[in-house]
Amino acid sequence: MRISSSLFTNNFLSQMNQLQGQQIQLQSQATTGLKVTLPEDNPAVMNQALNLQTQDAANTQYQSNITQLQNTATTAATAMSSLQTITEQAGEIATEAGGLTTPTQLATYAKQVGNLIQEALQAANTQDTQGHYIFGGTINNRPPFAAASDSNGNVTAVTYQGNTDVPESPIGAGQTASAQVPGANNTGSGPSGLLADSRSGADLFRDLISLQQNLTSGNTAAIASTDGPNLTTDENHLVSGIAENGVLQSTLESASATATQLDTSITTQTSNLTSADLATTLTKLDQTQTAYQAALQSGMMLMNLSILNFIQ
Amino acid sequence: MLGLFGTLDLASRSLATQQEGTAVAGQNMANVNNPAYARERTVVQTSAPLETTAGEEGTGADVVSITEVRDSLLDSQIQSENSATGSFTAQQSALQNAEACLGEQLTNSGASAASTDGLAAKLSNLFNSFSSLTTGAGDPAAVVQSAQMVATQFNQVSANLSQVRGNLNLSIQNDVASSNQDLKDIAALNQQIVLAEAGGGTANDLVDERQQKIEDLASMMNFSTVAQPNGSVDLSVGTDKLVTGGTVDDHLQAYDAGGGQLVVHNCAGLQLPLTGGSIAGNITARDGALAGLQTSLNTLASQLITQVNNIYSAGYDSNGGTGRDFFTGIGASDIAVNSGLVADPSQFQASSVAGAGGNTRIALALANLATQDNPALGNQSIPQRYAQTVSTLGNAIDAATDQLNTSQAIGATLANHRSSESGVSIDEEMTNLMQFQKAYEASAKLVTTLNAMMETVINMKTA
Repeated sequence: MRISSSLFTNNFLSQMNQLQGQQIQLQSQATTGLKVTLPEDNPAVMNQALNLQTQDAANTQYQSNITQLQNTATTAATAMSSLQTITEQAGEIATEAGGLTTPTQLATYAKQVGNLIQEALQAANTQDTQGHYIFGGTINNRPPFAAASDSNGNVTAVTYQGNTDVPESPIGAGQTASAQVPGANNTGSGPSGLLADSRSGADLFRDLISLQQNLTSGNTAAIASTDGPNLTTDENHLVSGIAENGVLQSTLESASATATQLDTSITTQTSNLTSADLATTLTKLDQTQTAYQAALQSGMMLMNLSILNFIQ
Repeated sequence: MLGLFGTLDLASRSLATQQEGTAVAGQNMANVNNPAYARERTVVQTSAPLETTAGEEGTGADVVSITEVRDSLLDSQIQSENSATGSFTAQQSALQNAEACLGEQLTNSGASAASTDGLAAKLSNLFNSFSSLTTGAGDPAAVVQSAQMVATQFNQVSANLSQVRGNLNLSIQNDVASSNQDLKDIAALNQQIVLAEAGGGTANDLVDERQQKIEDLASMMNFSTVAQPNGSVDLSVGTDKLVTGGTVDDHLQAYDAGGGQLVVHNCAGLQLPLTGGSIAGNITARDGALAGLQTSLNTLASQLITQVNNIYSAGYDSNGGTGRDFFTGIGASDIAVNSGLVADPSQFQASSVAGAGGNTRIALALANLATQDNPALGNQSIPQRYAQTVSTLGNAIDAATDQLNTSQAIGATLANHRSSESGVSIDEEMTNLMQFQKAYEASAKLVTTLNAMMETVINMKTA
């Protein structure tokens, strides 16, 4: 094959360009740690990487939602615990009322029950860190329980101002949860009301007010026959609610663990798809640099040699 | 018999012959770095012999022609490959510009690689902001901001892609103008070559220049050539003649076929069947992958607007307000967040019933759009469809790059073959130079010998 002067230089330049292109690509991989950065590098991997990124972002939001719900559930659990204590104390008063004989004793107990009602109101109207009432269903901008009082300051009625709906929040793919409990549900369906539910017959405020009024009027028979058993029903209902709160917290813990595992899995998958093997990349870069240097040296040597060097 | 004077004439013509050879070697060496140049060589033939009683007597040699070493088949193959390379180069460049407009680039951020600046991340933020509202801890202002970022990204990508489209149309117009100029130049060179070769000579330099113009034109458009016996070359695209001899029969025009789609037709208004060159490459990229990308983005934006508004407009804000849309616009270029909501994010209609501020069912439904399969998007969710759109563009660039690499490799091989055939070798020309130099010295010696012989004859009379 005849070799023209330009044939050698053109081939030399072409090889230099090729080697430089390889060096740039390998250097970029070594710097970024990635073998795929643009869609054109590997379209299928890019598709998967973007989908994993979306999944990862959603997972992070699930974790955030879970944390919020856990905070609300903890707040609710504290309030429920207080309400259970109040119910227990009211039950003890109802039990002890049977042995009371003097109006003074009855009045003292009536006053204690009055205090318990106020404590119960406070607990039932608990707010979360955003100032939302957690036992009002989805009506969370006003206290769920409103009290009416007589001229002596005794609570005569407590009205539930919330509803029976609860907000759901995503905690995993296709999974939602709610940390809120409606304060009362007398519709016969839907989520259980915390303090009053027609299905179980519980109605804490009704029974506390009844106890106070019966203590005031000295109707110990009614206390023994009605208020006591009702308060037992109320306490059992509350315990059931506390148990459901426990189940919720377990669910949230489990969802959180799943989200953490998923996060790790996504990170691993993304890394497997996109990360450059640094050892291999640096080795190839070294080899390419060596080839580049060798090509330069040999090219310069050959380009300097021609018949002109030998003509006298 | 030639005699002294006849032999002197032979020597004189021999000097001229060697001088011509030297000049051609010099011409070759001067053009060693001219990529359009095809090496020349002198064709030396013995002169017509003299009939004598003793038989034919030679009368020396003359240069009968200076020819260039050129393979027309190789030229034709290179021209064809130039068209292919021009087309794939244009396609790759256009689609890489579109890729830059999308802004999806993986970087190592945090624990794993992610593309944080493109639409994918912004869509995630939007759906996550809807999700955060469901816990009561989210802020409607943050939702509005996320939505604005999505809308702005759509607008910017759409505008940038339109600009890429505009630039492609400009390139087409420029290439059409350049092509028409090349057609004129080729016709003019045809005329000059025909005139120069009419007397039996060669017009090597003009042929080199014309071939360069042809290859330059080939990078912009595909055409076929037919060499004529008179030295001219005719050009045509399909059945449409562009150049016949020294005449430009037709030229290219770029016109708007509607919707900003520039196409190329001839003077009679017939669309030219261009399949190669940068003009065809730009049209292919513009009307193929780029148009597909714009359509996909518009569909995505349209579905986002429709699906979000369908859910959102049925919701209630904290004051019982309802019926308003979340997004305005119909596509990627004009999607925007409702200005009323931007001005007052508290108007966000998160609840499915009036008067229940803690009801976030609308927000939950909006969040679920992130994973909801949409028949209008091929039963993919919005984020999945976007990822596929990005991947489709990547495939188009990949294909163009592969084809370009193959075409460039073929072109390089053909160029090497032509260089081997027609390129100048310094070593070869120096050798030729020395050969002609020695022959010149020998011819000069013959002249001096004949001169001495003539002096001897003249001095015979004097004596």
